Amino acid sequence: MRLDVRYRTVFSYSEPTSESQNELRACPAGDEGQRLLDYRVTVDPPARVFSYLDSWGTRVDAFGVRRPHDRMSVTAEASVETRPRPLPTAAPRTEALRRGDFVDGHVEYLQRDRHTDGGEGVEAAARRQSELAGPDVVGTVLAVHRFVGTHLNYVPGSTDVGIPVEDVLAGGRGVCQDFAHLAVAMCRSIGIPARYVSGYLFTDSDETGAAPRTDTVVVQTHAWMEAAVPGWGWLALDPTNGQVVGEHHVKIGHGRSYDDVQPLRGVYLGPAASSVAPEVEIRRVDGAELWRSSSSGPAPGAPHLNGTMPAGMPIPARRVPAPAASGSTIRQQQQQQQQQQQQQQQQCC
Amino acid sequence: MGTQWFEEYDLDGFFDEVVAADGSLRPHYRKVAEALEVLAPGDLSRAERRRTAAFRTQGITFTVYGDDDEDDTGSGTTAGIERTFPMDLVPRVIPAEEWAHLEQGLVQRVTALNRVLDDLYVGGMEIVHDGVVPRWLVLSSDGFTREAYGVPVPQGARCLVAGIDVIRDHDGTYRVLEDNLRCPSGISYVIENRSALTRVLPQLFSGDQVRPVDQYGPKLLHALQRVGPPAAGDSPTVVVLTPGMYNSAYFEHVFLATQMGVELVEGRDLVVEDHVVYMRTTQGLRRVDVIYRRIDDDFLDPVVFRPDSALGVPGLMAAARAGNVTVANAVGNGVADDKAVYAYVPDMIRYYLGEEPILPNVPTYLLWDPDQRADVLSRLDRLVVKPVAEAGGYGLVIGPHATDEELAEARAAIEADPRNYIAQEVVSLSRHPCLVDDHLEGRHVDLRPFVLSGDRVEVIPGGLTRVALRKGSLVVNSSQGGGSKDTWVLAEATVPADELEGAAEAGPEPGAGGAPPSPPTPAEAAGTDHGVDLLGAADAEPRAAGRVPQEVH
Repeated sequence: MRLDVRYRTVFSYSEPTSESQNELRACPAGDEGQRLLDYRVTVDPPARVFSYLDSWGTRVDAFGVRRPHDRMSVTAEASVETRPRPLPTAAPRTEALRRGDFVDGHVEYLQRDRHTDGGEGVEAAARRQSELAGPDVVGTVLAVHRFVGTHLNYVPGSTDVGIPVEDVLAGGRGVCQDFAHLAVAMCRSIGIPARYVSGYLFTDSDETGAAPRTDTVVVQTHAWMEAAVPGWGWLALDPTNGQVVGEHHVKIGHGRSYDDVQPLRGVYLGPAASSVAPEVEIRRVDGAELWRSSSSGPAPGAPHLNGTMPAGMPIPARRVPAPAASGSTIRQQQQQQQQQQQQQQQQCC
Repeated sequence: MGTQWFEEYDLDGFFDEVVAADGSLRPHYRKVAEALEVLAPGDLSRAERRRTAAFRTQGITFTVYGDDDEDDTGSGTTAGIERTFPMDLVPRVIPAEEWAHLEQGLVQRVTALNRVLDDLYVGGMEIVHDGVVPRWLVLSSDGFTREAYGVPVPQGARCLVAGIDVIRDHDGTYRVLEDNLRCPSGISYVIENRSALTRVLPQLFSGDQVRPVDQYGPKLLHALQRVGPPAAGDSPTVVVLTPGMYNSAYFEHVFLATQMGVELVEGRDLVVEDHVVYMRTTQGLRRVDVIYRRIDDDFLDPVVFRPDSALGVPGLMAAARAGNVTVANAVGNGVADDKAVYAYVPDMIRYYLGEEPILPNVPTYLLWDPDQRADVLSRLDRLVVKPVAEAGGYGLVIGPHATDEELAEARAAIEADPRNYIAQEVVSLSRHPCLVDDHLEGRHVDLRPFVLSGDRVEVIPGGLTRVALRKGSLVVNSSQGGGSKDTWVLAEATVPADELEGAAEAGPEPGAGGAPPSPPTPAEAAGTDHGVDLLGAADAEPRAAGRVPQEVH
């Protein structure tokens, strides 16, 4: 399916700001499920865009505006051709998850971070699904996927970015990011490497993921998850709407959690309050040529390496930085330079 | 022994830098001992008062921050107390051949550390693919910084300034205790100590040819200029980026900018336009090519790191990635001074250089390995346990001095997160005579040599010798009774005389120095909770407590 995606965010400031520096992650990835045909970024006021691939393989467009402005817009336009993603052709048992080389090759997707650091509730829920599914990895992943999709209610605007997955589970509702983070956290807690995916979904209902009746939809960015199946590759599932990720999904990139693939992050100078209005328009284009590729089958997993992690060793947690005291002053930052804290605004489905 | 100063001197069974086991003076110290011979205790006391007054006058101080709960003002402020750093007047002397060994070992080590960092961030992680260092170990390090992935550094000089903490064990073998590859501090004290000693006790220098340390500024500038972006040409514009005047190492930031003759800037003085960095000047914007930053990675650029950082420069990382500016030390160096990764440095030297390590590590046990963990847990009361990423001795447990309760806590912590800890044998640090009232007593010392990487790797002669001034203490942090010593490297006969410090030119030199913080390793601990500061803590970023007087990364 040929889809044209137009991502656009407009910042409006209550008074002019003299500087803004940003990084955009909006470019569709190229992989076995999709091919990027065209991509273009436009910034207004005009700015020189510097583009690179980050450590996850996601294209980043960095740009800054350094002149007084009270409004800035960034527009990313992509044409992408998608096709159904293959389903697992292997049925590994859960013992395969504990192999040292498998763990070593996926350790970044087993660590917890601030978005996926589940507590006892998440662990118990994951264990329960694991027991129900038995010793089959794919079955267990599907069970987690189904659980998240049925346990959570999709309620737009119901949560903020950064809400702990334990609270999402207890609250029973969320947006697509919460569905993805909870599914990722549950998989990791039972030793299944899982990653958060940022992308676009061609639908007129995020909740059902149903195919739209029109050729053009206006949506927001979407999120789903991928789980590693030993001996096969990454299985992509969309727990928000209970679907297997298919040709209506356009993947931007993946990472450990939202922080690694945040669509737009940046800072601006000045006291002005701003409003941010991200918007995604997706258009189905008829008559596109079919994508015929000589390569097929699953993506190669992470390379198998030596020096493996001992079986049964607890996966080290990524340190969750202590939140900086609110109102931390420059003086305190000068003195104490090792705290960390991050905060972002939510801008997703 | 032949001198009044050493008649009553007691070795207490430790390796001593000056007095051999049989009580004789080591040959390299004879000339200093002869010079001391003609001094009365009163002469040294007077010199000490002059030095203290000089440091105070020049503002060579460090700041001690109080814990909130010790803040008897009740104001809850984090304002610090300014103190001068104690300097013991009896110099440490390293003979030429001993220094040659150290120097070779340090160059070798830092060369390998530069190589591994380049490999991890821009080189495809060959060392991981070849199975020398486990992939999971690297990726699970807090210091492994994905934001630095793909960011080039000219010459591969990622550790532009390295501070390698070295100790000597019971038989005098030099060993590396830890590597400081982020923002190591203390070099200003090296220079100031030398300047002070030549002024207050010029007669000590009468017999020896001592290699100078005051070329550090020009050498640092040279190294920084060699890592400029290619477009910057032969004389790139260099600046020093400081967090600001409230940072405990601010004195050193000012000092280094002055020594190099470059601008000292804060984040707000720099702007990024079209991925090029400029500094604001009275004549408008001026392009900046190389930034020697003394700000932690997390604060460097709010676009990619902490968004609330007010100290950094928005857009700096993209500018560095684009090759328009060089940030030194490189972002992400923390992965190579992770204490669990430290254990692999000897293997890195073999892997990249095909050489055997010249300087050994302190024997270190990796607790994620089930066999090593079991062994360590069976004799926890005889080992030292350190968290891998902490600086300043935080979280450190010295087995022989820990209570049963502390040992139980350490055991539980290790079992819960074995990746986060290492264990080391307790090292019996060497001692050096120090002036105590009117006589000399042995005190434990360590050494932080400074190593520069530009178009080549070079070691500044000597380094910062830190002293645990309290009797029996292993704590060298200045806030805990630690001090420093002027550290001499003796010249070989072939060194031209005009490169040497001499009694004839006992006059003032640039600068004057205070003293820094930090820690060596223990043999026995301070007997109090201060002991922790020592052991491994060479690295202490100013945090809340009163134990870390100085930014030592």
